[in-house]
Amino acid sequence: MTVQQMDAPRLITTRPLLIAQGVSKSYGSVKALQDVSATVYPGEVLGIVGESGSGKSTFLRSLNLEETPDSGSYTLDLPDVQGNLFDLDRFARRMLCATKIGIVYQNPHLGLLMKHSSSGNVAERLLVAGERRFAVLREKAREALDASEFPLSRMDAPPVELSGGMQQRVQLAKAIALEPALLLLDEPTTGLDVSVQALVLDTLKRLQQERKITMVIVSHDLGVIRTLADRVMVMKGGRVVEAGLADQVFQDPQHAYTQQLVHAKL
Amino acid sequence: MTLASLTRDWEPMAYGFLDASAKREIRRKTLKAISVPGCQMPYASREVPMARGWGTGGLQVSCTLINPTTRIKVIDQGADDSVNAASIRRFLARVSGAPTTTDTLEADLIQSRHRIPEERLREDQVLVLQVPNPEPLRPVQPNMSIARQMHADADYGRMWLQLYEQIVRAGRVMQGASYPSLVNGRFVMTPSPIPRWDVPKLHMAKHLTLLSAGREKRLHAVPPFTKVEPLVFDDVPYKVEEHAHLMCHRSGLKGFFMNEIPQADGTSIHEVSDSDLGVKAIHRTEGAPVEIGATWYENGEMGQ
Amino acid sequence: MAYVATRGGERAIEQSQRLFKAEMGAITPERVAELRAALPYLIDRVMGEASLYDEDLAALALAQTGGEMYEAALLLRAWRTTQPRLQVAQPVTQDALFTHRRISAAFKDIPGGQVLGPTLDYSHRILATEVLTGDTHTPAPVEPAAKPSPARQPSVAAWQAENGLLDPAVPDQTLGNDIPDVTREPLLFPAKRAHTLQSLARAETGGALALGYAAQRGYGQAHPTVNELRLAEAEIVVEHPRGTRFSAGRVKISQAEVVDKKGAGLRLGFSATMGWNEVKVIAAATLDLNAPGAPKGAPTEEEFFLYHTEGVEASGFCIHFKLPHYVTFQSSLDAMRDAKAKAAAQQAQPAEADATEHPTTEPAQ
Repeated sequence: MTVQQMDAPRLITTRPLLIAQGVSKSYGSVKALQDVSATVYPGEVLGIVGESGSGKSTFLRSLNLEETPDSGSYTLDLPDVQGNLFDLDRFARRMLCATKIGIVYQNPHLGLLMKHSSSGNVAERLLVAGERRFAVLREKAREALDASEFPLSRMDAPPVELSGGMQQRVQLAKAIALEPALLLLDEPTTGLDVSVQALVLDTLKRLQQERKITMVIVSHDLGVIRTLADRVMVMKGGRVVEAGLADQVFQDPQHAYTQQLVHAKL
Repeated sequence: MTLASLTRDWEPMAYGFLDASAKREIRRKTLKAISVPGCQMPYASREVPMARGWGTGGLQVSCTLINPTTRIKVIDQGADDSVNAASIRRFLARVSGAPTTTDTLEADLIQSRHRIPEERLREDQVLVLQVPNPEPLRPVQPNMSIARQMHADADYGRMWLQLYEQIVRAGRVMQGASYPSLVNGRFVMTPSPIPRWDVPKLHMAKHLTLLSAGREKRLHAVPPFTKVEPLVFDDVPYKVEEHAHLMCHRSGLKGFFMNEIPQADGTSIHEVSDSDLGVKAIHRTEGAPVEIGATWYENGEMGQ
Repeated sequence: MAYVATRGGERAIEQSQRLFKAEMGAITPERVAELRAALPYLIDRVMGEASLYDEDLAALALAQTGGEMYEAALLLRAWRTTQPRLQVAQPVTQDALFTHRRISAAFKDIPGGQVLGPTLDYSHRILATEVLTGDTHTPAPVEPAAKPSPARQPSVAAWQAENGLLDPAVPDQTLGNDIPDVTREPLLFPAKRAHTLQSLARAETGGALALGYAAQRGYGQAHPTVNELRLAEAEIVVEHPRGTRFSAGRVKISQAEVVDKKGAGLRLGFSATMGWNEVKVIAAATLDLNAPGAPKGAPTEEEFFLYHTEGVEASGFCIHFKLPHYVTFQSSLDAMRDAKAKAAAQQAQPAEADATEHPTTEPAQ
């Protein structure tokens, strides 16, 4: 067994939702990703941990089809979604990401229109999917914001007037508004105050438990990964150095780098 | 055989001002525009003896379509005698020898800025609308290259979001003129800065509408019998300007788009924006035999 | 009635034109000739922006518009529209230019030499007020150099390429009618190289300067050095249908190459225009230098600067705001009044039981 291939979790017997295989990407002479593979089962949370420059965010952006790797394949086991998604044209990518994949960025400017209303930011997802009833847009935006524990009295305030934690909640509401098959989280709590961080993590955990959303979360913070992830992938220098069930990796890290990480944290 | 017998005399300009190569390009782009309703076709847009932004796009299309028997009508803000309409009409007549008219019913070719006449247009009439900004996506995406890609993808989410935001902030859609509209179920176009009142006139109309932006070098078309649907939410109906109840203080006409004339005492009076309709109504009141055609709006309501 | 009257529009515009022309009096052949002789740099600027090289027509355009530069350029461009394109001249290479002035800021001396030529660069900018009190200002005669500089010089970039400082330019082999012509086809992005250079050649001087200066001050990525600036005359070589090539005359041209020295090698930005207009070509070459990789919406992005330095379009659009816009205004007023009325009606209503469940932003039907 190589480190890139992971065991199927014992309790889940369905087919994997996401399979990425042999994903490599270089920027000039810099190898950002080298032969990265991952498998995620429905309802599962994959945590990717690593320091900055490890390739974890590049991998996540690849899963959101914002990056086109030089080689590798990526499939999602969903109705009407076939083949290697890296081969999709721009239009098909846009439609897939707009309807099936939700993402929360570390930097809210990447995910939100800062001067539009918060509800509008959420409604945009629904509009792209074809919803044309104003009342329904309002209702669904409200539901998604509520589920993200965003105060509804501020639903029409623009993100630029909100705190960092609230901005992340708007991003989250936008990401879950269409009930995505896959939710990608790129350092969602990094940069927030510790207390706010905990609250946002609570929301994520609750949402995950209630809705069984399949998630891939990237963080340099082991604590975040430990709170949420069922399985963990440790990245360094564009490679996966260790992967396995979260408990296993944290209890009994095999790779020296992981040991270093875990011990530094403890 | 002499050189003179083989060649034509030198003339300072070609018939209809534009030379044959310019006209050929515009004809081709017009055909393309008609073939893909609402899609903006780029064209070279030669300089004409009028400033950019003053109807040079409409002018180039008119110069291309015109022949010595084309009866032309030119209006600006609904008025035939607006100074710029007068100037364009004079230019078109001068370079083509074509007859001019102010009567919508008599016109073969109508070049207009910001209005569609109130009398219904027929199959044999062509409406040329002057367009300052052909790109409905400009408010959400000023970069033309990206906007072109968004049209290709029918990526209109931001357009809809703009409407959502307006309703959230102001309680209604605040778009005044240039109401973005979906043509033939595919391309969102700007109908040019005509008031909302005029947009329904384009829907399944019998006439051909050509919309041309000279400065921005784009041409798009609404062919006859083509769907033109203003972007609206299913549960927030499209609203034209509330002019149905206003009365023209000169002609007594009611139920058409009006100009508001502020008065010194703080009130306003109104006059009908389609100036020739107003003139005809006055003549009829005075007993002259004038024909007023069927109008799109009847008693202030858009007919079928 | 307002200036859009149901009667009298034609008469009004006729008289307004007369009023404008009356200020300037009769336009005589002598006046046009005098303008041509007295204002060569203004003539050059207008010819460049009009992309029409004819000093007499340019002088006439200035006479006819009273020196309203945007109007003069438009007049010439509109005239240009009526003219057939008979021939496409042979390409002109830098070392074939009959050079009057040629300087490089990159080296103290360059092969072929620095040629100062005609310039006000080092003049003291003092008005010759004695002319106004009746004296004639007669310029001192030019004393020819003992050894005149060569009329033709190699380009500085050629030397740099030979020395491996610069990637040698790959010559574009497109000839004749196959060369894209921005006056006959739309400018689309990413722009064809020919369209970019043609658009910069036609750019309005002030517009190119404003955006080029912004780039020079630091809003661009590159800091330009003037590698080579030339004021020259270019031979217009055309081909007779029989195949003979001959010169149809010479036109004045300016060209600038600016160089960026931040990377591993030197990188060039280029601009040339008809007529002698140094400011324009240096500014435009700076824009060309900064264009690669410029973010969308930056002043140094190609789409941004090519659209916004187009003087005839920009000035036309600017003055079009004088045209009546009362229909669009009326349309917006209607929406505004209605929104106000709705807001007032909502204020008057008693507060709903639960404001968060029923925000005050639902559309009134």
